[in-house]
Amino acid sequence: MTPQADLGIFAICVVAGLIGALAGVGGGILVIPALTIGFGVDIHLAVGASIVSVIATSSGAASAYVRDRMTNMRIGMFLELATTTGAVCGALLAAVVAPAFLYLLLGVVLLGSAGMQVSRLGEETPPTDQPSALAIRLRLTDSYPDRKLGREVPYSARRIPLGFVLMWVAGVVSGLLGIGSGVLKVLAMDGAMRLPMKVGSATSNFMIGVTAAASAGIYLARGDVDPLIAGPVALGVLAGAVLGARLIQHISNRSVRLVFLPVLVVVGLETMARGLGFGI
Amino acid sequence: MSPERFRTVVSTVLIVGVSISAALIAAGFAAALAVGWQGSLAGSVAGSAPPAHVAATTDFSNLAGRLAALQPLALAQLGLLTLLATPVARVAASVIGFASERDRLYTAITAAVLAILLGSIFLLR
Repeated sequence: MTPQADLGIFAICVVAGLIGALAGVGGGILVIPALTIGFGVDIHLAVGASIVSVIATSSGAASAYVRDRMTNMRIGMFLELATTTGAVCGALLAAVVAPAFLYLLLGVVLLGSAGMQVSRLGEETPPTDQPSALAIRLRLTDSYPDRKLGREVPYSARRIPLGFVLMWVAGVVSGLLGIGSGVLKVLAMDGAMRLPMKVGSATSNFMIGVTAAASAGIYLARGDVDPLIAGPVALGVLAGAVLGARLIQHISNRSVRLVFLPVLVVVGLETMARGLGFGI
Repeated sequence: MSPERFRTVVSTVLIVGVSISAALIAAGFAAALAVGWQGSLAGSVAGSAPPAHVAATTDFSNLAGRLAALQPLALAQLGLLTLLATPVARVAASVIGFASERDRLYTAITAAVLAILLGSIFLLR
């Protein structure tokens, strides 16, 4: 890598970190194609760098999100129980399941969810119902300060068993395919559990670092983490993520969904393409 | 520990983790501009033995030895390792936080996550 290429990677990763922090996803969908197509990086090293970018997005954004009460740590830890066990199951299943079919299936699910997202484009905060008995027992109700709306927004997690199962599936998918864990987490927290977009995005951000850290050892041992590439990726993504976590205070939940939707569509199309046998 | 303080602790763990990591990576790159990736900031005095171990950039072994030789590559690698360890430290801090809130359910949940996390890092190869 020349210093010029390093600067280029750094600049693209600032954007990836910014989008990742806002949408609640790791920068992988942007980082991997940018590295392989833009800079001719070997796919294995690009995937290794993308694991680094997920952890950088997560830790960089979550430091602010936790302090600002955007992240719900109980919801995050409760659901991490599902994603980490799912990821272990996925990694164990990887030897026996044909990935092509899974890519296709995941692509269909993601693009189908994009339709549901479109129908919610006008919604600022989800309807508030009486918290369920389970939500009270698990203490999954809270509120977050919304500076854009200028008030405290109360929320409680709904359809908790469904959310837990979807999170387990998200874990299995990320363990099997190594992708899509961020978008699935946001979809489960928004679609099933009906958390406000900002809370879902911040809590997803909080969680993806743990899912990625669980598999980081494998990539390190394989020799897929090259500091010459992962270094500028980490620095760029960290800068972008810190910026994104500040920016979210000044935009609406609606705008967060507007950032998330194209990310969802791109991941859906990329996944479909892989399932059909062509892709990056 | 109040919820306020709990959040501050978790947030601080994350900030310290990413700051140390970013500083080490940046230091590695700055040093590489001066002495090259496999060079040494300790300088090479004429007649002294060359560095015992010249690593491939993706080789994380013998990190301590190469750090002692002040190799830019080792600095950047230590920075990346710090970054990868940050989420683990964050979960560990959460176990302590929930425990000090006397929230048994979430202490158990978080401890289970930590156990699965450590298990998958060290056992899944």
